[in-house]
Amino acid sequence: MRLRFYFIRQALTNMRRNLTVHIVSMGTIVAALLILGAFLLLFGNIKGWLQQWGSALTMSVYLKDNTSAYKRDKIDSFIRALPGARIRRFISKQEAMDDLKAALGDEAGFIEELAHNPLPASYEIIFDKGKTDAIEPAQIKSQIQALDGVEDVQYSREWLKRIEGFLDIIRLTGYTVGGLLCLCVVFIISNTIKLTIYSRKDEIEILKLVGATDWFVRMPFLLEGAILGILGGAVAVLMLFSGYHLLATRDVYLIGPTPLEFAFLPVGYLILLFSLSLGLGILGSFIAIGRFVDV
Amino acid sequence: MIQLFHLTKRFGSNIALDDITLRIKRGEFVFVTGPSGAGKTTFLRLVFGAEQPASGHILINAINLNRISRAKLDLLRRRIGFVFQDFKLLPNKTVFENVAIALEVAGLRTRLIRKSTHQTLRLVGLAEKEKSYPLSLSGGEQQRVAIARAIVKEPLILLADEPTGNLDPDLTRDIMALFRSIHQRGTTVVIATHSRELLEFTDCRTIVLKEGKVSGDTG
Repeated sequence: MRLRFYFIRQALTNMRRNLTVHIVSMGTIVAALLILGAFLLLFGNIKGWLQQWGSALTMSVYLKDNTSAYKRDKIDSFIRALPGARIRRFISKQEAMDDLKAALGDEAGFIEELAHNPLPASYEIIFDKGKTDAIEPAQIKSQIQALDGVEDVQYSREWLKRIEGFLDIIRLTGYTVGGLLCLCVVFIISNTIKLTIYSRKDEIEILKLVGATDWFVRMPFLLEGAILGILGGAVAVLMLFSGYHLLATRDVYLIGPTPLEFAFLPVGYLILLFSLSLGLGILGSFIAIGRFVDV
Repeated sequence: MIQLFHLTKRFGSNIALDDITLRIKRGEFVFVTGPSGAGKTTFLRLVFGAEQPASGHILINAINLNRISRAKLDLLRRRIGFVFQDFKLLPNKTVFENVAIALEVAGLRTRLIRKSTHQTLRLVGLAEKEKSYPLSLSGGEQQRVAIARAIVKEPLILLADEPTGNLDPDLTRDIMALFRSIHQRGTTVVIATHSRELLEFTDCRTIVLKEGKVSGDTG
């Protein structure tokens, strides 16, 4: 206990003596963790949104122009007979055009000049959530596509797969950037501690001459790295939380007209970030202390 | 207490100590003397374990320094006090802190560290200066701080390298009196000096080194 206080006091004294260097060093930890944390925050939320979106299976059935009412009735009946399927809306060519104009707003002028409406009429189908696991959307797609009068069929999970592939690339990029940032942090902390060691060179020599063990000399430096890690981690998490609050108060629209819920990092991720920060601090100082003045 | 067997130390092609065999008994007061470059400092540093011999053995309290682990050497150093020629005081620590450091490394209780440090500073006559910084002290006072740091842990052996080298005759007398009082408490004292004045009026054992060899020993 006595030594613990001595080590902590010594580590804090070291930090106070080289305050500027330590602040810069802590700044790099904060920056690295902020980038990593922001990436985790965005990635986690996008993944959540996609899962939410993907859990509800929706399908759009586009009709050929001039499909007769008879053919449309047949398509209608076929859809209604599908297990768990519900027609949310039939969108006529005119309605599709109106929706597009509404979406484009002031920019819709050029559409008025079109000689004919190029947009197809379509059905929006939604499948009951409880039954989506039993449905094979690719199979249903090919069945509907075979019907006379159907031009094309698209379903939500098709997009999801493409986006998930894209997300995998982002994830890999994020991990690579995060790994490189961590290396930078270790390098900077290690150099910060080396500076402290250098400034205490005489003291270390005397400590060794009066019988201090290697660990007695090393411990304050290890603690110094750990304190840098703890402080850096805490500041980064606080800043991340503040940033989240700024974003969370605004509605974020990504897919569809419903604002998306923006969640903060789960506790597990926060612990991970914090442990990473602490680990990087200790690793940096561990590399720095290497071997001490051999007396 | 201290045994040297055929001890040789080289620095590159220079031989600092050449085949030295001698024994210093527990409680002895010994001067190691000789001209500059005779190997006095090397002798003390070898006994302290700060240098490794090229050949031969050093035994401290029957512990062979050649076979001792690094960690055990650290522990052994807690029982050996060393007064350096250049004092090796930390300018940014007070007199009290400079002395207390020798006890802090042993992980003693704060209260005990305070008590022992106060007592030792009183013994060397620096009780009033414990809050001063080394650079504000005279050479003699700095020397006494260095001695206080060496004896505060009540060592079995006290090694001192030219402890009166930069002091005037009055201060030299004071410092020597201090060493004698430490010796009277049972500590083995080994002082390296080239000062003839210091040796003229002493009946203590004197080992004379010349070109790395023992050329005389009154013991």
